[in-house]
Amino acid sequence: MSSLTRTLISRGFSDLEMCERFLGFPELAGLDQPELLDALALADNPDMALQSLVRLLSAVPESRTRLFPLDPDTTRPAPNEPLFRLLGASEALADFLTRHPGHLEMFDGGPSQLPAPADAAGLRSSLLRAVGADPESEVPVSALEGKDARIALRTSYRRHLCELAVRDLAADSPQEAMPGVGAELADLAAAALEAALAVARTEVGAAMGAATVAAVELAVIGMGKCGARELNYISDVDVMYVVAPRAGAETAGGAGRPEEPRPTELDETAVVRVGNALAGAVSRTIYAPEREPGLWEVDANLRPEGKDGPLVRTLDSYLAYYQRWAQSWEFQALLKARAIAGNAELGRAFEEAVAPLIWASSERDGFVESVQAMRRRVAANIPDAEADRQIKLGRGGLRDVEFSVQLLQLVHGKTDESLRVRATTAAIDALAKEGYVGRTDAALLLSHYSYLRVLEHRIQLVHMRRTHTMPSDPQQLRALARSVTGPLNTKRPSADSLLADWAKVKRSVSALHERIFYRPILATAANLSAEDAALTTDAAKARLAALGYRDAAGAVRHIEALTAGVSRRAALQRQLLPVLLGWLADGVDPDAGLLAFRRVSDALGTSHWYLGMLRDHQAAAERLCHLLSSSSLVADLLAFSPEATAWLGNSKELVPQSFESQWGEIQSTLSRHGGGPDSIRLIRLLRQREILRVAIADCCGLLDQDAVALALSDTDRAAVLGALLVAENEVYGDTEPLTRVLVVAMGRQGGREIGYGSDADVLFVHRPVAGLPESDAPAATQQAKAIVQRLTALLTAPLRPAIMAERVLTVDADLRPEGRNGPLVRSLDAYREYYQRWSSPWEAQALLRALPMAGSDQLAADFITMADPIRYPRELPEASLREIKRIKARMESERLPRGADPSRHVKLGRGGLSDVEWLVQLLQLQHAHDHPELRTTATIPALHAAVRLDLVGGEDAAVLEAAWRLAGRIRNANVMWTGKPSDLLPSARRDLEAVARWCGYEPGNATAFEEDYLGLTRRARAVFERLFYG
Amino acid sequence: MNRQQEFVLRTIEERDVRFVRLWFTDVVGSLKSVALAPAEVEGAFEEGLGFDGSAIEGLARVFESDMLAQPDPSTFAILPWRGNGKSEQTSRMFCDVLTPDGEPSAADPRNVLKRTLEKAADMGFTCYTHPEIEFYLLKSDRPGPDGIPVPVDQAGYFDHVPGGVAQDFRRTAVTMLEDVGISVEFSHHEGGPGQNEIDLRYADALATADNIMTFRTVIREVAIQQGTYATFMPKPFSTHPGSGMHTHFSLFEGDSNAFHEPGAEYQLSKTARQFMAGILKHAPEFTAVTNQFVNSYKRLWGGGEAPSYVSWGHNNRSALVRVPLYKPGKGQASRIEYRGIDSAANPYLAYAVLLGAGLKGIEEGYELPPAAVEDISALTSAERRALGHDPLPSSLHDAVRQMEESELMPAILGEQVFENFLRNKREEWQEYRLQVTPYEINRYLGVL
Repeated sequence: MSSLTRTLISRGFSDLEMCERFLGFPELAGLDQPELLDALALADNPDMALQSLVRLLSAVPESRTRLFPLDPDTTRPAPNEPLFRLLGASEALADFLTRHPGHLEMFDGGPSQLPAPADAAGLRSSLLRAVGADPESEVPVSALEGKDARIALRTSYRRHLCELAVRDLAADSPQEAMPGVGAELADLAAAALEAALAVARTEVGAAMGAATVAAVELAVIGMGKCGARELNYISDVDVMYVVAPRAGAETAGGAGRPEEPRPTELDETAVVRVGNALAGAVSRTIYAPEREPGLWEVDANLRPEGKDGPLVRTLDSYLAYYQRWAQSWEFQALLKARAIAGNAELGRAFEEAVAPLIWASSERDGFVESVQAMRRRVAANIPDAEADRQIKLGRGGLRDVEFSVQLLQLVHGKTDESLRVRATTAAIDALAKEGYVGRTDAALLLSHYSYLRVLEHRIQLVHMRRTHTMPSDPQQLRALARSVTGPLNTKRPSADSLLADWAKVKRSVSALHERIFYRPILATAANLSAEDAALTTDAAKARLAALGYRDAAGAVRHIEALTAGVSRRAALQRQLLPVLLGWLADGVDPDAGLLAFRRVSDALGTSHWYLGMLRDHQAAAERLCHLLSSSSLVADLLAFSPEATAWLGNSKELVPQSFESQWGEIQSTLSRHGGGPDSIRLIRLLRQREILRVAIADCCGLLDQDAVALALSDTDRAAVLGALLVAENEVYGDTEPLTRVLVVAMGRQGGREIGYGSDADVLFVHRPVAGLPESDAPAATQQAKAIVQRLTALLTAPLRPAIMAERVLTVDADLRPEGRNGPLVRSLDAYREYYQRWSSPWEAQALLRALPMAGSDQLAADFITMADPIRYPRELPEASLREIKRIKARMESERLPRGADPSRHVKLGRGGLSDVEWLVQLLQLQHAHDHPELRTTATIPALHAAVRLDLVGGEDAAVLEAAWRLAGRIRNANVMWTGKPSDLLPSARRDLEAVARWCGYEPGNATAFEEDYLGLTRRARAVFERLFYG
Repeated sequence: MNRQQEFVLRTIEERDVRFVRLWFTDVVGSLKSVALAPAEVEGAFEEGLGFDGSAIEGLARVFESDMLAQPDPSTFAILPWRGNGKSEQTSRMFCDVLTPDGEPSAADPRNVLKRTLEKAADMGFTCYTHPEIEFYLLKSDRPGPDGIPVPVDQAGYFDHVPGGVAQDFRRTAVTMLEDVGISVEFSHHEGGPGQNEIDLRYADALATADNIMTFRTVIREVAIQQGTYATFMPKPFSTHPGSGMHTHFSLFEGDSNAFHEPGAEYQLSKTARQFMAGILKHAPEFTAVTNQFVNSYKRLWGGGEAPSYVSWGHNNRSALVRVPLYKPGKGQASRIEYRGIDSAANPYLAYAVLLGAGLKGIEEGYELPPAAVEDISALTSAERRALGHDPLPSSLHDAVRQMEESELMPAILGEQVFENFLRNKREEWQEYRLQVTPYEINRYLGVL
């Protein structure tokens, strides 16, 4: 390895081959190479410094004298530090100096002499002078115009930008310097706008008459980062223009300058017209294409009505708009408004007039909703490919910090004027000082914010391009790593360390983002130490209300209870609640969620796994909060079975137990308790536990709709089977059984497509034991009846002590032959005889869904053999077909509850469950005999089979299936949300919102969901009517 | 309390307004009105005024009957025909109907139009409309001895009737309209005896719909004051032309007319052609809305200038959509005229479906069929079929059937208005079917 290579590496160069080539270029001949390399090493990016230097020397050979000026202290030549740093930090500015070598004189102060700091007034004067305007004049008018003015203005602007960059690059701590740099950039932008306005007056004056222009006052209001004096090196500058006729226009002309034409009085239309012309000219002067490139876009899109609104308005026009039409976000934007150029008095009048509006905005309708929407937007990840390299957007980005800070300003600024500051850094300070954000959190937030901004500044400086993404090139990353640490750091940090630091900051910002909202509320409620911020009670309530808690006082009480005391639980909850409160607030009912959380916590507070889970399993804790604030069903069940909370941390526990394993558990229960009354209690508890498991798994998105239905069916089946065994034990006692009983599931239970809170529709069958004398038949029937009645009682009778929050399994045998008038249980032979002799079409139809559930396997097989010819008849007589259609039509008008809106009834309403199921069943009755693939008790598989057989068109089937599934989801969602079964699509907005979310809709889409349901069922009804009634 | 609300309250105080009427419409476009004492207005702004929506056609079903009417302060106007000029005035405001949760009611026609306009705004358009409203002035609201209404005069199109009732009437009406802030462009005697037309100046579609509701009230009030009766019935006479509400539509992008393209055929932009194509394609589906009564179809199929076939033409008065003559240098005035609507339509719903259909045409990039150059009613039906001029629905029943099949209508109207509207119209048809008409008596009684 040559020694040059070694030297290059030690000086921090990356592309060694390229550097060696460049070092050999004639432009560098005669320079002492070791000295040169030492000098280049001063730069953050020595490679870039070298290339820029060669370009500079080749264009401006005489600039070489500036490279190593004499150091006045040592009287020996020393590298010109500011120049080398700039060459290695910004290609764009190096190019500027190459274009305008005259400005290299700024480096003539000495090897380490920095340009003097600039203030707003100085910058304004300098840029005005550059276009030949008098800074002392109240209404400066330029001497230059057009191309000359543009070049002069832009050159002067960039000269100042170079000086600023040089000072920034020399700052010992770039993060501490950042607010000052942002402020100076904003001042420089303001000065450029002022100078451009002076040019505009000249240009528009030439076209419309100087007197006309002089009669118009115009103020430029800076918005966004420019308004807040925290501008980036390069970014659009957001502005709005206010115009007014010049006060006392008649006399003004005569007062000072007799040579100026006397301005004339203008009406509002004329004033706006002149204002428009001025604004257009300002924008052109700054940005129109020219030999010296434009500075940045002057963006006036934050103005009222955005792009469609007039470019300039009078103050009254602005106020009229803000008072009548403005949206919440527009007030948020006004938070940053500041008069930056033009008539200062008019600008101030604007600031003063809009200020009260900003602070009243949190009282407006929809504030809470818009805040929540804003939080979601902040939390939402940026889907594009650059997401993980975004410094500004995305999780833990600059936008996170800015939104959080603005939100807190809006919530508390109404009562506390000290928060009414524009810059983010100043706002963080103010929030910390007044105790709205904890001091530690604020310090962290500030440091992260500055860090991210410095990253952004350094990246933008290179090409003066408006980018917010982390570079991927290792050379650039290394340069960036060095540049954020400042020039004092002699060791060059690696690219990896930069990425690691950045990742740490992002993580910390996203955590802080939640914490700073809720931690101070906790501090208030829990009387924490003085280190943490303490909100007043009212401030805490205001903040909770803004975040979506309706009963803020109640919430404060719960938080007090959760955090009071010295227990480990209280200590941990003090830690965790800030985040948990945020998750709860994402649910539909945060208040209920918090209450439920308190109940769970009271029940489990001392068990170490619970605290461990909350602490270590973020996903589990988030799930818990989501469940508690969105589901009464789960919240109620968890309150009485809090130990189930453990499942949240363990996805294995959330797999529904198979029927076999449930049955195994019941059998071992029965053997331990000998089938006594205790065992039914355990069976019912087991069922409750499994329902909860399914519900939680469902909520966590681990089960689809079909899987939920199957799991619930398995659970009911195990319970019925257990109850049957207990009942048989009790009835048989020590005697030999006379008969055996079979429970056959019917209806949706038979189709294994039930929901939470569904009844068990069943049919009871018995068969006397073989060899039983005919004379004992009545006794056998009696015994069967006793077993069946006992089974029903076992499953439904209240237990003592009661099982809390139990959702009792109601056994419903109304689908048996002759309905309620028929005997509760019949023997298999009796069924056979009945169906052969009497059966009506609807009874055959009901049998389509018959599926043995509990009892002897042989009896089950024989029952099915008996049922098949009835439910799959060789031919469905025309009369039966008509009868079925008539029953359905009558049912539609009679069964619907009084006053219910048919379009909102998911079971019996138009296009609801019953429409789809009847249609499928009709097809089965007609065709299942010939096509065994139609023989299933489940609706959707039968429908699919019908499509394959061309009995139903594919599109029709898709509509029917979608409607059927959505209706089923709504039924489940109703139980989930309210804890009570309901077959109605809710009308109240909040209920609708909750149900919509359970049906997979994004928050805020209740109306779309309602429209979708109504539309889907309307189409399904049309298909049904066509296919069913024909 | 915003500035506009304050303005309303101040005006009530200063002008000595004694009653404030809150106006809204049901699905068929009947005006509903609740009178408030001035003291109640502030509360109505804040919280809305509760009322029982179940009593209003199509607003709500019995079990969810609580509704709120929230006045829109920008529509405040003094009603010039009440009060004595200087004091004891009556005023009105249009209302948005809200559910008890404060959400816009899905069943409020005004909200339907607002939603459609929002959709247009999302696509970058503002919509302007300009209606020409025809109506008959009759001697009374009772038919004459022969069962036929009695018009106030026997004049015809553009006739100047010296000392005529109609002229007096139009002068008073126009003055009064201007008093409530509705600009009138044009007014003249129309083709039928006693028939008049008044054209309103173009305004954005929501304001126009509000204006039409006000217009009907003003016209009726003036007629009553003058001892006559005004009717917007689509076809009061079998032998005279019906009363249409031809409406001109234009879309603006920012401040430029999106329908105008210099140099294109008829100076019509692609946007305009697609918009028209959308209207033509969906016209049969929305005819039940633009022509919503049994009687509407007597106008549509009664001959004269009423358009019965789907077609468009440049200055062709038999076409359903007409492109008015382009005047050089008037690019901002480019527009199309839909001639199907009748004067009894619910303007909110009618404009919503027309706009919605037009926007659909733009969204999907529909192709416009060739223009009709001949008088379509003079063609044979085979010729019409060959040229693709499909007929509009021939009766309310037919229109309802075509609307039921539509997927676009529920998307525009919302599922709930769609359903309520259809239910209302089916009931109307059912009632009509039960009638034995004078025609049948005259025709059959003597011979059968």
